Amino acid sequence: MKSIEVRLNLEVVAPLLDLIKAAADGLKEELAITAVVPDSDADFADGWRQELLQDQTGDIQVLLRVFGREFFANGIIALDASNSEAVLRACSAVRLRLKSGLLQRMEDEVLESGEVPVQKLTEDEHKAFACYVFLATLQELIIEHLDPSGRGV
Amino acid sequence: MIVSNSKTHQQPGQAAATAPEAQLADAWRVVVLNDPVNLMSYVVMVFKKVFGFDEPRARQHMLEVHERGRSTVWTGKREQAEAYVFTLQQWHLTAVLESDEKH
Repeated sequence: MKSIEVRLNLEVVAPLLDLIKAAADGLKEELAITAVVPDSDADFADGWRQELLQDQTGDIQVLLRVFGREFFANGIIALDASNSEAVLRACSAVRLRLKSGLLQRMEDEVLESGEVPVQKLTEDEHKAFACYVFLATLQELIIEHLDPSGRGV
Repeated sequence: MIVSNSKTHQQPGQAAATAPEAQLADAWRVVVLNDPVNLMSYVVMVFKKVFGFDEPRARQHMLEVHERGRSTVWTGKREQAEAYVFTLQQWHLTAVLESDEKH
C-alpha cells in the first residue's frame, strides 16, 4: 500500500491542533457546508443531514487519530489509502468551519487569492489562518503523493 | 450510503408514464457551486473520483465553477443525481440538484 510519512515541526503544529479540536467539537452538531437537500420531505431531509453529519464526524475522528501518540513522540504523521480520503474531507470541513468562524472577517476574494494581509490579522485570526494554510498543505500533499482519485494526473 | 435512503419518486401506480413525463424523469442536473475555501486541486480530485472524469475534463469543470460560479457536472435520472449530490456534499462541495423544468 502506498503511504507517506510527514515529519512536522511539533512546536509549530501542536498549537494548531487546539484549533482543529475546537472546530471538530463544533462540527459534531453542525455540517461544515449548508447542505441543500433535494427533497422537501422533512424526514428525508433530516435523514440526509444526519447521515452527512455522521460521515463528517467519522472523518474528523480519523484526522484527530493521525495526530496521535506518534506525532507527539516524534512529530511524524503517517498517511496511506486507509486514512487519506477521510483526512482530505476532514481538512476541508475544518477549513470551512474556520472560514465561517474565526476567519469570517476575511473576504472571500482575499482568501481565494491567497494574498491575505497577515500583518492586519488579530492574534486569533493569525493562528486560525496558519491552521487553515496548514490543512491545505496537508491536502495538497495527499493529492500529490497518494492520488485518491485513482486516475493519476 | 444515502442511496438506500433515497426515495423513489415514481409510485407503483405511475409506472406507465407518458412520454414527456418519462423524459422529464431523466432531466436532472447535478450542479456544483463555487466556494472560496476548497482548493482547486481538491475539487479536481473529487470530480475525478466521483465521476471518473479524466484530468482535463475535471479541470474544465473546476474552472467553470471557479470562473462562472457553477458547473453542471452530471445530467440524468433523479435517483442517481441525488446520490451524486449526496456524495459531493460528503466531500463538502456545494452541490445542488436542478430540474430542466426550471429553464
